[in-house]
Amino acid sequence: MSPLWSNIFRQKPEEESLAYFLGTLPLFSDMTERELKRLETLVHVREYDAGETVFSEGDPGSGLYIVRTGRVRISSRSNQGREIELAVLASGDFFGETTLASPAMRVASARTLEKAQLVGLFRADLLETVQKNPAMANKLLLGLTRVMSERLHAAGQELMRLQQARSTAPAGEE
Amino acid sequence: MPEQLSLTRTQLLLIFLVLTASIASGLALFTSASRITELLHVATTGIVLPVLLSLVLAFLLEPLVRRFERGPFNRTASIFLVSLLTAVLLYLAGRWLSPHWLAMWGSLRTDLPRYLARGIELLNQFEVRLNEYFPFVSGLDLPGRGRVLAEHLFNEMLSHTTGSALRLGSLMLLVPLFTFFFLRDGQKIIRFSVGLAPNRYYEMAHDLSYLISRQLSHFVRGRILEAAIVGIVVGFGLSFTDIRYAPLLGLFAGVTNLVPYLGPIVGMIPGILIALVDLGMGGQFWWILATYLLIGQVILDNFILIPILISHVSNLHPLWVIIAIIMGGKLYGVLGMIIGVPVASIIKIIIIEIRYYRRTFALPLASQDSELTG
Repeated sequence: MSPLWSNIFRQKPEEESLAYFLGTLPLFSDMTERELKRLETLVHVREYDAGETVFSEGDPGSGLYIVRTGRVRISSRSNQGREIELAVLASGDFFGETTLASPAMRVASARTLEKAQLVGLFRADLLETVQKNPAMANKLLLGLTRVMSERLHAAGQELMRLQQARSTAPAGEE
Repeated sequence: MPEQLSLTRTQLLLIFLVLTASIASGLALFTSASRITELLHVATTGIVLPVLLSLVLAFLLEPLVRRFERGPFNRTASIFLVSLLTAVLLYLAGRWLSPHWLAMWGSLRTDLPRYLARGIELLNQFEVRLNEYFPFVSGLDLPGRGRVLAEHLFNEMLSHTTGSALRLGSLMLLVPLFTFFFLRDGQKIIRFSVGLAPNRYYEMAHDLSYLISRQLSHFVRGRILEAAIVGIVVGFGLSFTDIRYAPLLGLFAGVTNLVPYLGPIVGMIPGILIALVDLGMGGQFWWILATYLLIGQVILDNFILIPILISHVSNLHPLWVIIAIIMGGKLYGVLGMIIGVPVASIIKIIIIEIRYYRRTFALPLASQDSELTG
């Protein structure tokens, strides 16, 4: 293809498109290019200012957010009302995936640290896809399950490690 | 000194000008506000019917489009296919029915005065009987009222048939067009309007809009299907007797069945009247009454259709039904009376969904709060 024609037909370089970005995520790694294009119309791109609340602890949660640009701080409130930082997420990370499949409350708060662009995928869209395009919904759910089970596995191991550390720790420390 | 004076003078002039301008614009705003609402009303009257019809059609055709979409077609192609199928089906039905309908319509227009006169006569007899048993109920003038109502109805029908060709033409043009766009871009329109919500409330708005639209499509599909089945069964049941206009009466019963409580009663009045005038109080009359009441309403509607098709969410208190009918009638005439109750049900569904949503998520929050304080 001559540069002239590629100029006319390709408005955006491939790497800048939302579909390409989604394809780089482990969540959607199984998807074909066509399905990624479909996914592009399914997700919601939202622009956030610096320091804007994405959601707070206790909000009704209905889906996951993927960080495309910017950074997001995940925090939780302790029993004494102090804010504990759990993580700072950057481009390619996602959060809130536990509420995608079943309605639940947010267990942590998310706030942007700088100007950010987040990509939302919500339960309503997932349910629509299950009806409209079951094959694609399967891949979506499989990807989600894989990531969730990896995280569960890691959490289980972490819990075991903590338990072991606690049992081997000297009694005077508690 | 003169400089200062001229300054105050310009200031005074300015103040005067500003004051007059504000008063004038205030007056203009006041008069134009009522004018604008009036204009809005006039402008929307032509649009309400096609938009409503196409919304209903879009709701009805959506499952079919989805089925096609699961196959090798994309959305636009499946909408085209479904529209084509519907158009062909409607055309065939129209060709098959139109000679019957035209003949029926013609004879009905000559028969109607006869039926109305007979109906008024019956009312007269009824009043005489009523006065016999309850002499204190006098001055009701039932026949007079009936005559006024009947004349009004007849006039409306006659005046509507002259203009109805034009209206039907515009409907046949607008409804398919609107339906196509509602089917193709409905999701996008909802997405766009929900997308206008601020980031903080976006997620909730999105979730709610999904829940509400799901409930609404259930409701609309259920109601239409219910009315269609009741209409067909009543028309079929009536055609066993010698009554004339059975298909028309079935259609009327189906349309009025959209309105709960009052609709079925209004729907059976013409059938009963025609039966009384043409057939008298024989066995056929009782069969017709049984078709309307026992088969149409009690068995079919209450025992079979409503439990299956209509969820209890959309049940309205009879008081609200009557209020909705009156308000709808005031706004859009006979059409408003029919659509008033469904619209009220839709509003109720929206309110209930929002409340349910809030309560589902508020409950654990409250317990957590008590845990925190405790």
